[in-house]
Amino acid sequence: MTTPTMAVKVLRAPRVRRGNLSFDISLAILAVMTLAAMFAPLIAPYDPDAVDFAAIYSGPTAAHWLGTDALGRDILSRMIFGARPALLGPLLVVVASTVIGILLGLLAGWRGGWIDAVLGRIFDVVFAFPALLIAIMAVALFGKGLVAPVVAMSIAYAPFVARLTRTLVASERSRPYVAAYRVQGFSGSWIALRRVLPNVTPIVGAQSTLNFGYVLAELAALSFLGLGVQAPTADWGAMINEGQAGVVGGYFLPAIVPAIAVVIVVVAVNVIGEELSDRIGGGIPA
Amino acid sequence: MTLLDISGLTLDLPNGTRLLDAISITVAEGETVGLVGESGSGKSLTARSVLGLLPDRAETGGSVHLLGRSVLGASRSELLDLRRTTASMIFQDPRAGINPMRTVGDHLTEAMRLCEQRSAADARAAASSLLAAVRMPRPDEHLRQYPHELSGGMLQRVMIAGALSSSPRLLICDEPTTALDVTTQAEIIAVLAEQRASRGMGMLFITHDLNLAASICDRVYVMNAGRVEEQGDARQVFRDPQAAYTKRLVAATPTIVVADAEIDAIEARADVPGRASTAAPASSLPAGAGVVATPASTEPMLVASGVSKTYLRRGKAPVHAVIDASIEIPRGGALGIVGESGSGKSTLARMIVGLEQADAGDIRIAGRERTGAPTTRVARLAHARSVQMVFQDPYLSLDPRITAGRAIEDALRLHARLTTADARARVVELLEQVGLGDRHAQARPRTLSGGQRQRVAIARALAIEPDLLVMDEATSALDVSVQAQVLGVVERIRRDRGLTVLFISHDLAVVRRLCDETVVMRTGEIVERGRTIELLSAPQQPYTRLLIDSVPRPDWGREAVPQN
Repeated sequence: MTTPTMAVKVLRAPRVRRGNLSFDISLAILAVMTLAAMFAPLIAPYDPDAVDFAAIYSGPTAAHWLGTDALGRDILSRMIFGARPALLGPLLVVVASTVIGILLGLLAGWRGGWIDAVLGRIFDVVFAFPALLIAIMAVALFGKGLVAPVVAMSIAYAPFVARLTRTLVASERSRPYVAAYRVQGFSGSWIALRRVLPNVTPIVGAQSTLNFGYVLAELAALSFLGLGVQAPTADWGAMINEGQAGVVGGYFLPAIVPAIAVVIVVVAVNVIGEELSDRIGGGIPA
Repeated sequence: MTLLDISGLTLDLPNGTRLLDAISITVAEGETVGLVGESGSGKSLTARSVLGLLPDRAETGGSVHLLGRSVLGASRSELLDLRRTTASMIFQDPRAGINPMRTVGDHLTEAMRLCEQRSAADARAAASSLLAAVRMPRPDEHLRQYPHELSGGMLQRVMIAGALSSSPRLLICDEPTTALDVTTQAEIIAVLAEQRASRGMGMLFITHDLNLAASICDRVYVMNAGRVEEQGDARQVFRDPQAAYTKRLVAATPTIVVADAEIDAIEARADVPGRASTAAPASSLPAGAGVVATPASTEPMLVASGVSKTYLRRGKAPVHAVIDASIEIPRGGALGIVGESGSGKSTLARMIVGLEQADAGDIRIAGRERTGAPTTRVARLAHARSVQMVFQDPYLSLDPRITAGRAIEDALRLHARLTTADARARVVELLEQVGLGDRHAQARPRTLSGGQRQRVAIARALAIEPDLLVMDEATSALDVSVQAQVLGVVERIRRDRGLTVLFISHDLAVVRRLCDETVVMRTGEIVERGRTIELLSAPQQPYTRLLIDSVPRPDWGREAVPQN
């Protein structure tokens, strides 16, 4: 069983160990963005929805640092308010998918047998559908907005978490310390929930943070398609969509700024997630 | 002439830790030199320095010369040349050192084809004769086999053949038999001795096993904490150790040699005379005698009768792990089960503690039926109070996240309603019983040493106050001095509390120290049983005799008169 994994590990290029600097920078970026989102009304210079026809497509000025869009709305203010759905959506998805995934994975890995087989096939079916497609189906059924996509993405991402948890739990289950608990007379469910679960949670949690970036990009894509957060609420994906028209006319900022923000957050989250996995997971491949 | 000359070798890590301190070792041609020490003594590091296999950022001092050529500071190509022509190394775990995706033939011929530009057919013929030289039964067939088709002992012979393919002048053996059964070890040692003699190689043999070193080496170096504590003629060092450390090591090493006085003592049975012999089971006899005398019951503590276990494998023949095994332990007694890997001794232990269910047979502990799997909470707890287990590897049998004190407290509070304060007090009491203290209660397993962990595991098992304690290879992962400590703890608890122990081990010497009676298992069956000392001094079965003969034993007894 170990042989193929060993072979794969040998084939992998050795991972270059990044310094902690990029981790610290990433952490700082996320912290700043989170604080900005939380205190948006205090920080944002303008009302994000305030239309100003006197300043349509103004470039960066002292009044509008990042310029304005086709309706003269301040881009910086919209970015700050847009950070709320951009960060909250993925956060909810990561938390929900981790909770669902850990519980299902624990069940499958601990009980094994037919439960494991049935859950495994269900995961395979969910894997067969791209998360974005499931989210679009959910929107078609339950309407646009943030709620339906978040629920759908939580379900779509849970099998990733569940599969990792299942593997970890199955290997923990065969360890002597679990046998020692059994010999002492502890019940199976106590061992699983009180001892094995806390031992695998940090590793699973670190891996789950990596999902944050993917979910953020996919939710932004959904908004870009007009299926996510609805106008006039500020949202990065929706802003890119609205900014498209300006790009044709030579006004890049309204579309580029939110696009860059998406990239920065995704990269920052991945750097953090990988570092956490390295530190906690002891080299468990993603 | 001097083959290997290490003088004043020091090795420091960048953080200032000194791993090796002024090591000086020489090996002459045709000589076997032993490097003996416990884990962390620096013996492997010293051996690796000969081939330039040192940690990347280590600072070295002193010198290492191989046939007059300096190794430290040698260029890559010089090192390559030394490794190709002068010295080879074999390691502890042969399975970790071979590519599982390639055949034995590929492994053996690769170096010959690439380094010596020999033709494939020529290299294959050479590999075949090497395999014959290490006494592989069917060389040409083995060349086409993959590592997983061979047993550990066979694979180690393949590794030896690989090491010999470059006709080295010096062969470095780093614990080459530690992962192997004792009978396999004897075969490997015989192969190594034969090759060393026929090739006139020098051999640097690293081991933690004093008896092994004493039986094959001409000279030994005893290492501890990065220093050479003592060196000299192997006989001299072990018969009359000078350094305090060597003395402790020799005293801690159990032996299977039975002195005549011990047999007399057993036959007399009236009293236990104070013997000078280090490994006498002085404590076990009175414990057994004392508890049997209590009026509680004369029924044996453990009765297993006709226990069998068969594993069914899809598409393969079923494995009969345990066949119709029957054992009995009197109250307060200690029974040893000895056998090699695959003998079924661990399966039998797991059935007794309830981790596996027997297919047939009957297990009774203190008169209560303990064969089936407990289904209710009450039955589960009752089963746990009947029997507890100490596992082989204390690094794996303790939950890494749970402190020592918490682990014991959990076990206590599962079985008895205790207030927090009472539980804490009892935890300290239990820790003290195994020679640890209050300060260890807060420690997580990773901050404890192997011996401390195993003692925590024992305290945890004792917390439940079981009728029977099963120890499955409980000391085989530990260094000899630590093993002696743990065995001492178990002996003392047996003496004080009359604990009944089932002790499973591959090591006859350890069983002999702890157990009054022993059964020998082989491929699932009990082949011989009897009093340990009688079994060792006069084995009835050929297999028992083979086991005993395979244990490395210097050809001179500790009591023997010096011959030179």
